[in-house]
Amino acid sequence: MLGKTKKPENDTPFTAAKIEEEKPARTPPRPTPTPTPTPAPTQAPTPSEEKTTIGQHIIIEGQIRGEEHLVIEGEMKGNVQMEKHNFTVGSNGRVDGEIRAQNVSISGQLKGAINASGKVEVTKEADFLGDIKAKSISVEDGAYFKGSIELAREPHRKSSITETSKGLSTPHTGKAGYPTPTDTKKEP
Amino acid sequence: MTNSTAQQRTYSDTEPFPVRYNSTILERFVDTIEGWRDVRTLDMGPVCRENITFFARRMSRHYACDMFSRLQRALEQKPVPGDVIRHLDYPPRSFDGIQLWDLIDHLDNNQVKQLVERCFDMLRSTGLLMLIAFEKKPVPTTINAFITGRQYQVDLRIQPHLDLPWYCRHNRALMSLLADFNIVKLFRYRNGLREILIKKPGLVRD
Repeated sequence: MLGKTKKPENDTPFTAAKIEEEKPARTPPRPTPTPTPTPAPTQAPTPSEEKTTIGQHIIIEGQIRGEEHLVIEGEMKGNVQMEKHNFTVGSNGRVDGEIRAQNVSISGQLKGAINASGKVEVTKEADFLGDIKAKSISVEDGAYFKGSIELAREPHRKSSITETSKGLSTPHTGKAGYPTPTDTKKEP
Repeated sequence: MTNSTAQQRTYSDTEPFPVRYNSTILERFVDTIEGWRDVRTLDMGPVCRENITFFARRMSRHYACDMFSRLQRALEQKPVPGDVIRHLDYPPRSFDGIQLWDLIDHLDNNQVKQLVERCFDMLRSTGLLMLIAFEKKPVPTTINAFITGRQYQVDLRIQPHLDLPWYCRHNRALMSLLADFNIVKLFRYRNGLREILIKKPGLVRD
């Protein structure tokens, strides 16, 4: 089933498009005319909030590009490119490919690389294998996960540390198998 | 601690489970490798948002391979349990740091030997391996994730989806399994929890 639905914003986990809806209410026309009427501001093109769902009995092979949110509940092999929209692998979905999207949510199986300008969510039902590059990431306990993660880095707190590795350049305190003088007892 | 509790602890087969503590080893682990260039770390613990975010924001590239879930699935395979170590199919000298957390407490000696060999292989020279091990089976015996928080405070969170065996080892037995590495630091807490930081021998980083 290939369903195309316009979903209310509350149904999606992401809220990026909601900002467009929160414009100030129009003021009622005033009885006194303004001396120099300014032209009405041109409305910026809003990214589509439509959502396409690939049903669980659909198999797709090939590349997908789109300007609306996409949910995969079926099987897909190929790359997905939708930089300004969200990509979701539903709990029945199986995807093998490279994903470029704004936000990515995985509840099914995904094998491949993710490049997200926003957030990547991996739920506890997910089975993920691949590489993730994103602004932020959320992984639920219980997710079956194997992959690399690259996020925006925090600045080094101790930039003076060199590769000679602070505190480790001195010989170690003992060979494994023997009690060492560094043993310390303390209560957690 | 009262005398009766001390006596009870001495003759008990279990240890009380820690709740929250400040991890000295974790701080040493992070502080040491954080300043290196192109740092790659591998976390084998149960995946959790906090740890992934903590390490991915500090290291050039952070890898997570949930060996706990993989061990669970391997043990469920019939008629013969699967080989869990095969999932660590990373090339040699891939990482500067590896976090095992308490994984070895759930592996038998044969599996630990294989795991330690793989870790030795996957680490660069001078790379660090951090692990946690209980001397006795803790109470309760639930599996927990060690959650990294602020100021290296470690919290424990139950992982109800995991049901794994326990193979707690005394110090000598544990150290003999790690004999290929050099000890950097070992903390033994009174409740039987041990934090161990070991290093792959070598003068310079690969």
